[in-house]
Amino acid sequence: MGYLDGFKVTLRKWAGVNTDTGRRVTTEYPEEVRPKPARFHGRHVLNRYEDGMEKCIGCELCAGVCPADCIYVRGSDNDPENPTSPGERFGFTYEINYLRCIHCDLCVEACPTQAITESKLFEFAFTNRSDAIYTKAELLVGDDGRPRQMPWENWDGGFDPAQDTSGWMRATSSGGFAEFEGLVAWAGELGYGVRAPEGGQTSEQAGAEAAAADAAEDEHGGH
Amino acid sequence: MRDIEITEPVEITLNGELVTAQNGELLIDACERNGSYIPRFCYHSRLTPVGMCRMCLVEVDTGRGPALQPSCMIPVSDGMGVDTESDGVAKAQDGVLEFLLANHPLDCPVCDKGGECPLQDQAYAYGPGESRFVEEKRHNEKPIPISELVLLDRERCILCDRCTRFADEVAGDPLIHFIHRGSHTEVNTFPGEPFASYFSGNTVQICPVGALTASPYRFKARPWDLEETESTCTRCSVGCRVVVESSRNKVLRLQGVDSDPVNWSWLCDKGRFGFQAGNSGNRLSRPLQRCESGELSEVGWNTALDSAASVISAAIAGRGPQSVAVLGGARLTNESAYSWAKLAKDVIGTDNVDCQLGDGLPAELVLGLPGASIDEVCEPGATVLYLGPDAKEELPILYLRLRHAADFDGVKIVEVGPTLTGLSPYAAESVTAVPGETPSVLAALLDGTSEHVEASALLRNASDLKVVIGRANLAEDEAITVQTADLIRESVPGATFLPALRRANVRGALEAGLAPGFLPGGATLAGTLPTGWQSMPAERGGGAAEILEDAANGRVDVLILLGSDPLRDFPDRSLARRALAGAKTVISIDPFVNASAEQADLVLAASMFSESAGTTTSLEGRVTALNQLVTPPGTARDDWMIAVDLADRLGADLGVETSADDLAEEMAGFSDAHVVLGDGAPVGDGVMLDISGRDLLTSAEVEVPPANAYSLRLVLNRTMYDKGTLLEESESSAGLAGESVVKLSAADAAPLGVDGSTQVKVTSEHGSVTVAATIDSRVPKGVAVMHHALGDVDAGTLLVHGDPVCDVRVEVS
Ligand code: SF4
Ligand code: SF4
Ligand code: SF4
Ligand code: SF4
Ligand code: FES
Repeated sequence: MGYLDGFKVTLRKWAGVNTDTGRRVTTEYPEEVRPKPARFHGRHVLNRYEDGMEKCIGCELCAGVCPADCIYVRGSDNDPENPTSPGERFGFTYEINYLRCIHCDLCVEACPTQAITESKLFEFAFTNRSDAIYTKAELLVGDDGRPRQMPWENWDGGFDPAQDTSGWMRATSSGGFAEFEGLVAWAGELGYGVRAPEGGQTSEQAGAEAAAADAAEDEHGGH
Repeated sequence: MRDIEITEPVEITLNGELVTAQNGELLIDACERNGSYIPRFCYHSRLTPVGMCRMCLVEVDTGRGPALQPSCMIPVSDGMGVDTESDGVAKAQDGVLEFLLANHPLDCPVCDKGGECPLQDQAYAYGPGESRFVEEKRHNEKPIPISELVLLDRERCILCDRCTRFADEVAGDPLIHFIHRGSHTEVNTFPGEPFASYFSGNTVQICPVGALTASPYRFKARPWDLEETESTCTRCSVGCRVVVESSRNKVLRLQGVDSDPVNWSWLCDKGRFGFQAGNSGNRLSRPLQRCESGELSEVGWNTALDSAASVISAAIAGRGPQSVAVLGGARLTNESAYSWAKLAKDVIGTDNVDCQLGDGLPAELVLGLPGASIDEVCEPGATVLYLGPDAKEELPILYLRLRHAADFDGVKIVEVGPTLTGLSPYAAESVTAVPGETPSVLAALLDGTSEHVEASALLRNASDLKVVIGRANLAEDEAITVQTADLIRESVPGATFLPALRRANVRGALEAGLAPGFLPGGATLAGTLPTGWQSMPAERGGGAAEILEDAANGRVDVLILLGSDPLRDFPDRSLARRALAGAKTVISIDPFVNASAEQADLVLAASMFSESAGTTTSLEGRVTALNQLVTPPGTARDDWMIAVDLADRLGADLGVETSADDLAEEMAGFSDAHVVLGDGAPVGDGVMLDISGRDLLTSAEVEVPPANAYSLRLVLNRTMYDKGTLLEESESSAGLAGESVVKLSAADAAPLGVDGSTQVKVTSEHGSVTVAATIDSRVPKGVAVMHHALGDVDAGTLLVHGDPVCDVRVEVS
């Protein structure tokens, strides 16, 4: 008789009755969209500083760390008169192949300048391979700091470019050490300024206090 | 650390264990040899130690208790106690790194060295992890170019003195040095004087941080992108061993390998950056054929090979096989050279084959003279008679080896040539001989009647004379070089010779039989038929000059240019021009449409360095590997494949089953010199051919007309950077060729009123050119020097091949 118990679960969920294993979670996607978790990993963006300079310096650290080997970067000399990024070098070529990306966000963690971050956009179903390879022009945010929308991307499903572009970077900044939680350790972004710590993190104030307390404890031979 | 033979063993205690070391060797090496690597920045096994960086501190106990000492400055002595792992040592390393990083910009993400940086690696392995310095770091302008090829970022420099020691000790171009004091100390050039050294790229390779970067590689890739293979540089015949590095099917960088018998890890800039030619947009990716309209246009390989085969067959059927001539082959691998020798001499049946262009040494000399290796020439205490071209310009790493030998190993160099050269400051004595007079000057030196007493005594007392022999002057008949060699062999029977050949694989091509009268392995047409061959030419053919002469007179139906460009390289320029116009069909096999190929009827696209695998033979007879790393552009293919396909269309089989290795094996099967190749591809330092010499030598007696008081004798020689195709196609060296000039001695210039850069007219019996004249203290009286293939002025029009010397008159125009 045991297998009928299994059907009971199905039937009750179907009928919309809450069970002891939890609420019914199936939603009518795409008509109905759920809010995405704060640190959701979606399609990447390449950010700019507040003055419009590109953050990417073409260092290839993201490409080096990528476990799926899907990033292709090449650096080049900045024109001193008209630099693309601060410093000597800028990302001349930048491509991500979304047929391979597993959205692990290791690239975001590796990036020394917070140039590459992931947005929460996951609805970008392409119909050919070349669309799947996002080029620098496609990844780089526009002059307003907003991601560019590709024809095949669906932004209606609750994707808010103002909110949804660098959550994970903010969560893992400064090496991801717990004592840095809530500390702002990132540069401003074009269109957004310096973003506040988000989701699950303590406030800047509380974070600083916690860090100070930790440090004090350190001095007394704590930990 | 270099491998050494332990001749004077002593026992030291290394981290509590008794180990053996060579008495007097540096502690840092002794520890490494015994399994304890000591971190270091300034120490380099090819430079004198200076103890600048203090990274190599270890605890040394010589009986007075342990004390921290820099292991790169301490010679090993018996009973020494060394601790490389103690807490004291770890603390010292930690501290040294904290100081080195005090002003370091930590540019790693944008630094070309990042990922292969000794400072990164050692900071990670031995460093403190965090710095206590919170002060603002020292700032300097980000990279400043110190030469056309090298950029210096002073912020990253850790003042290890490697680049400056290299420039001074190894290259002999002390153009960079430390300036200022204390924390403002920096490396820099002298004001207004760039680091224009032919060897500047080596400083980039040995800099232990990213302070020195090379413009051709700058920001092109990161170390983790690179694929690499070991190979041999093919820009001259010294045969330096290199690591070739590529990313995405494009060669991006060459690094020198520390090959003890050859290049000691150094490379010249021409070799280091010359790979760029392979990436040139002008590479030929498909065969070209001259179409009805007279243009060269792309065709498929079948069409191209069919038409090549049909003109060759028609020529054979018409005026016979000798109406086909093959010129060139020094660019080829040994295997390709052999395949072409077999195609020409066996399948086609012509002996009009020459891999040199009237600018080398006769095959009889190269293959016949008893040889000396580079190491033998540079052996401590040796006496060297140098009769070659300016080594600094043409054989740069041989120059470095000879310099080191003279400066550090007591080698006495006696130089005899038409001008002073880059080597002269290091020679025991430099004797100048006006063109044509080398044999008589040398005879006097050897019989003791010369006024150059010191040089004469050195040569006469040498127990084991080493001779470097080559063509110092392209305007002088090669027979004079033969006469000189003959004279030395007669007066100094035990002398051994290093041929100062120029092009990469001339020696290999000669050994493979690409010379008139020769078969592979130095055998002559009088010898037996090589195994695997069906026939050989009935009569001896001509060398480059005869081939071109024949072509000019309409006696050559098919002229095959095997990677050669006679219009640019054959010294007698008008003969080259007439020959290309006179040959019925010209087929060029080349990676580029060079000046001669522009006049060809058919151009077959060939692969280049690092696009094909095989072996090459250096001037000393060392066979090393050439490895493939990238693919040739389009459908360009290896020279041996072209030979196999052509042979096939001519109804013959060159015997290649799978790869070019089959050709090496076939050659090893019958040629004594190549037996060593029978065991597969050479690895590492390669293998030496038998260079004991062969019974081939001839003698020559040249009548040199007496010099007249109104003329100067022309010396035509080469500079490292000229307008050759490969240099012009290399992005970074294209602009480095100098302007054409005629160089005169002050004594000859004064009566003409030449000062600085007066325009003069240089006239010979055969032509005249107008060119700027400069005064050069290295030019002796009675001589005018012009350089080959520089600028628009064509010095080659002044001379005629076969004239013993070329007399010119210089007048202010
Ligand atoms: S998210 Fe992961 S898989 Fe995707 S590009 Fe970044 S590192 Fe590669
Ligand atoms: S995105 Fe970041 S890690 Fe990747 S190349 Fe640019 S700067 Fe470097
Ligand atoms: S020299 Fe080394 S440590 Fe310094 S910035 Fe470059 S990679 Fe980093
Ligand atoms: S530039 Fe490099 S090699 Fe030269 S002293 Fe500085 S760190 Fe040493
Ligand atoms: S390696 Fe010994 S002091 Fe630098």
